[in-house]
Amino acid sequence: MPTLVSYLIVSAALLGIGIYGLTVKRNAIRLLFSIELIVNAANLNFVAFTRFMNPPQVSGQVIVFYSIAAAAMEAAVGLALILVAFRLNSTIDVRKLNKLKG
Amino acid sequence: MAPDITFIVLTTITLLAAIMALQAKELIYGAISLAISFIGIAGFFVSLDAPYLAMLQIAVYVGAVVVLILFTIMLVRRDEADKVEHAEGGEGAAGLWIAGLLAVSIAGVAALAGPSLPTSPPPANLPVSQLGPVLAGSYSVPLLILALLLSAALLGALVLAKVER
Repeated sequence: MPTLVSYLIVSAALLGIGIYGLTVKRNAIRLLFSIELIVNAANLNFVAFTRFMNPPQVSGQVIVFYSIAAAAMEAAVGLALILVAFRLNSTIDVRKLNKLKG
Repeated sequence: MAPDITFIVLTTITLLAAIMALQAKELIYGAISLAISFIGIAGFFVSLDAPYLAMLQIAVYVGAVVVLILFTIMLVRRDEADKVEHAEGGEGAAGLWIAGLLAVSIAGVAALAGPSLPTSPPPANLPVSQLGPVLAGSYSVPLLILALLLSAALLGALVLAKVER
């Protein structure tokens, strides 16, 4: 079985990919992809740490259970927001959705 | 330490699919790549002795979230969603630098802390049947709050997306 550090490095790489998407992409749906990737990186960290705990515990898995449910909610609300933004502005380019800019 | 072939394959699939999800020309292909990346994460969960979470990951992420994203892409589509949005050169490079620095520094910290981290897991992990009593026992109040939160979020999404006429 690989060491804990290798799991952490995979998770860090996934986080890096997500941050790259958040900073560079302009399509709102792609921003949502990036957020999901970052949440998954965090989940992987939780599960890896809880597996390597001695004595064994399940608290990390419980947290990931909640996290997955929260991410599903976040995706539902986020996609509804994207739909509304598209209906109002007929674009989902986040650089053009700047009506609140003074 | 002999490199673990399963781990390497899973890492390759997950990271490549994640990159593809952001870089694919068509948004639909991006969503499918995202699903593949989620399946890779589920594979990691299996390799970490968390089969219940792997099942949940596939059911919720691949089954619900990605399908929801696909529906939204179809609703939003008007050549708008499919347009390749490449940031201008300077912006893309800056994003790459930020993300790369962050990932490398986190990985570096993990590698530096490596000697004090456990290298091999305890031989016996708790069985899956252990998760239920913990979830419904000591974590029962958060579970109820989560149920309320789920219904609130779904109602909110419905109200937001409703068309008024």
